[in-house]
Amino acid sequence: MNHATRVYDNVFEMMPTEQNPTPMVRIHRLNPSPDFALYAKLEWFNPMGSVKDRAAWAMLSDLEQRGELRPGRGIVEPTSGNTGISLAAMARVRGYQMRAVVPNKIPLEKKILLKIAGADLDVVNDELCPSPGMGDGSINLAKTHAKASRDKYVLPNQYENEQNVLAHLRTTGPEIWRQTEGTITHLFVSLGTCGTVTGTGKFLRSKKPNVKVIAVQPTEGHDVPGLRNVRQLEVSKLFDASLIDEILEIDYELAYSRALDLFQTEGLRAGPSSGLIYEGARRIIERDRKGVGVMIFPDDVFKYTANMVKHIPSLAAGTTV
Amino acid sequence: MAAYTQPEVLVDTDWVKQSLGKPGIKIVEIDVDTKAYDAGHIKGAIGFNWQTQLQDQVNRDIISKEAFEKLVGGAGIAAQDTVILYGDNNNWFAAYGFWLFKIYGHKDVRLMNGGRVKWLNESDKELTTEKSSYPPVTYKAAEVHNELRALVPEVSQISKSRSANLVDVRSPDEFTGKVIAPPGMSETAQRGGHIPGAKSVPWSTAVNPDGTFKSADDLKKIYLEQARVDPNKGTIAYCRIGERSSHTWFVLAYLLGLKNVKNYDGSWTEYGNLIGFPIEK
Repeated sequence: MNHATRVYDNVFEMMPTEQNPTPMVRIHRLNPSPDFALYAKLEWFNPMGSVKDRAAWAMLSDLEQRGELRPGRGIVEPTSGNTGISLAAMARVRGYQMRAVVPNKIPLEKKILLKIAGADLDVVNDELCPSPGMGDGSINLAKTHAKASRDKYVLPNQYENEQNVLAHLRTTGPEIWRQTEGTITHLFVSLGTCGTVTGTGKFLRSKKPNVKVIAVQPTEGHDVPGLRNVRQLEVSKLFDASLIDEILEIDYELAYSRALDLFQTEGLRAGPSSGLIYEGARRIIERDRKGVGVMIFPDDVFKYTANMVKHIPSLAAGTTV
Repeated sequence: MAAYTQPEVLVDTDWVKQSLGKPGIKIVEIDVDTKAYDAGHIKGAIGFNWQTQLQDQVNRDIISKEAFEKLVGGAGIAAQDTVILYGDNNNWFAAYGFWLFKIYGHKDVRLMNGGRVKWLNESDKELTTEKSSYPPVTYKAAEVHNELRALVPEVSQISKSRSANLVDVRSPDEFTGKVIAPPGMSETAQRGGHIPGAKSVPWSTAVNPDGTFKSADDLKKIYLEQARVDPNKGTIAYCRIGERSSHTWFVLAYLLGLKNVKNYDGSWTEYGNLIGFPIEK
């Protein structure tokens, strides 16, 4: 492995570390205050294209080390897509099967990508009539497979697995600390499993207790794959409210229009969750005016063209003869 | 603290675990997600598919007495067996199955409190993919209790006369007509709203965070005090296709002991589509 020449022996050597961080790019025209340095950390530079590579690799390595995986015994995981793509690809490289249980509402691109990455797919309808006690349909089905077919599957369970937090504590946090040379004042993240916010937040707070951790979340009934509204967060055991200074609730339609702005103004091919995070950062900068902020952009827009068209119908105009 | 009127119709997960394999006890899983049983079920449990096995495939109707006898007998369940039902979504379709077993006069039917999710999340409870099969028996339905079921003429008459309680157990957005059905549902209606005169008590208000039923005192408060369901009148529960309302029907009839409680299984997919019938939003 040589980070200078970027020549690697295998795909796992590309995984980000403090010495080999994912890039951070400064935002210029979309930054409302000249006294606030705002950076986007581009997690689509992970080998499988999203921030979820970090958690997936940590969980998979941990299961391997504990002897839980072997040929014939793979993994089953509830996933809205990115974790599944990372896990499926990584598992297949290591010689294991991966079964992904996904909510029906995720974009078709992600379902197909999961299959391309080598996952077996279970699709469940997750939002019949959400209510206490029912749990989340994809989590329940994945747990069922893990319990009923122990010989075939082990469940990493990104919603409960501390490796999801440790991955960010070991890599994302130290990377940001080094990349900002300790000047960071604001961290902007979205909430899903909460591994990113908990791990990165914990590391940065240990270095600088007054770093502000701002979480953004879409309004209820949202259509931003991978994210959870606070009222949906009970499924994640990794959510630690003490690490979060503010949670901003932002109209989910803005996730899409801001993603467009980011690509067209800053050249950043950000996906909708990144669009939402940017909108949260923009609002905080309007208020705080000064500081050094880092937004963790989970993935790029390539998987979301169908969703983009759904929310910005004008994109479809002029695309046929 | 008050007790449920008929506490014997509820069993807990530990009871089921201890009763596995005992003669005279048959466990039946009925899920909304028909894939769930195949993915894993309680050892020895029989799986019924609500779409293909509990509904008539030609008429829109529950299965006939003869079809029920064939299904249940074919699964090896005898009339004197204790039938324990459980399923996903807090026992929605398990409650529907309970209602169907009661319509066809099965004596001893019970629900596993908390349903599939509770069992799944308890570390001492196992699941299997092994198919269960029992030698078929001849099953004869003892009697038919059509009085547990409401049909359109009665619903319409009650909507006009207010001579009985109408309880809409769907989500508030379905009740107000903001949505016609929960997202992703293929069975829907021409109009959104509710049956005139219905009270909105979403089915989920009857359950605790772990999916088990709330206490009798809490249920009394919810239905009788807050929603003002009049216990001196009959009650009809409805939802979209009759499964969530089976859950509430069970609560009202067996846990609170109200008299003359019916499930309107035609529910909103029937009423919301009827020509010439008024709705409220």
